[in-house]
Amino acid sequence: MTTVVRIDLGPCINCSLCRRACPTETIHYYSTGHRTHVVDPAGCIGCDLCVQVCPMECIYPDPGYVVDAGQLEVAKGKARDFARRQHAAKLERKQRARRAVELVAAR
Amino acid sequence: MSKLTDHIRELPSRRDPPYRPLATIDDAERAEITSKLGSTENYFDLLQLRELIKEDPDNIEFRRAMVSSIASAEYAGVDAFSRKVCEWQDWDVPWSLIIAMARQTWDEVRHSQLATGVLESYGGKIGDYPDTLAGGGPPPVMQSAAGGAYAAAAESLFRDPVASLSMVNVSLEGGALTAFQETSKLGERIGDELLAHCYDYNWADEVTHTAIGDYFVKALCQDDPEQERKALRAHAFFEMSRGPRLNDEQSQELKEFFAEEIQRAHAVLGGSH
Repeated sequence: MTTVVRIDLGPCINCSLCRRACPTETIHYYSTGHRTHVVDPAGCIGCDLCVQVCPMECIYPDPGYVVDAGQLEVAKGKARDFARRQHAAKLERKQRARRAVELVAAR
Repeated sequence: MSKLTDHIRELPSRRDPPYRPLATIDDAERAEITSKLGSTENYFDLLQLRELIKEDPDNIEFRRAMVSSIASAEYAGVDAFSRKVCEWQDWDVPWSLIIAMARQTWDEVRHSQLATGVLESYGGKIGDYPDTLAGGGPPPVMQSAAGGAYAAAAESLFRDPVASLSMVNVSLEGGALTAFQETSKLGERIGDELLAHCYDYNWADEVTHTAIGDYFVKALCQDDPEQERKALRAHAFFEMSRGPRLNDEQSQELKEFFAEEIQRAHAVLGGSH
């Protein structure tokens, strides 16, 4: 059972860590009309990554929101794409680092 | 305008050894950095520097480069926040904000001391590597860009408390949270307790700095939608400059925000669309 999250705007300091961590990019800031980070529950898969990075510990589960199964599948697909992109970027950095280490060792 | 502000504006940013921005180094120094790190681009990219250390934890030069790069930003922080303490006294801002900037100046001093200490523990010193950020405004190459228009625009934004707090305290320091957390984790991973401890300490301060920024932006924008919009615009402007690290939909949200900004500007200027 997926439980989406919501951000308590009182303690939130708008550091954007949750927005950058969200694999479904469902945390919005510039489109909210105010300086507020807001979770669009339709795109939330309840992965808790935002909860783990929040320095103010102000992101909570919202069990009252009933998750639509169709929306959830779409969101999970986005999360998988996000994970693939992250993995590819990580591999590229690792390969660059490996080449640099070899280059330095060869000098 | 106060005499102190006039005085501060005329003073050059000084450090011993002097700032040496990366953009101004010669070919010989570029070649030296390349021989140590594989490329000069690796020095400018903190993520890549961490990756180099993970790949070869025994190469102490990689650690020297990474901490030099962070230290450079900390020294620039001392310069930037201490100027705000003086200059912002000319603005209609709460005295508590000036005091908060003074507190942050001392935090940056402590961070500079920490970074210098960690660097010395690796047998390095400030000045071994060029500065990734140099105090006292953009480097000469940026100052001359677009006939000085870019530097003038940046200068005017940084002298506006709402814009400056949004860009530096909320956006930049918010981003530094990830940088310091990852650097501390790297220290744990490679058994470098000093690195792990110092950057965990720095991380905690950055949370406070972001909170200070957000608190005062909220206070300065209260019941003033135009000021709030300006704060968002400044945050967006700053985040846009770090574009490659944004994901697809985040970039799209930013583009839509700027498209709306252009429409607003047209409306203000009397344009039809």
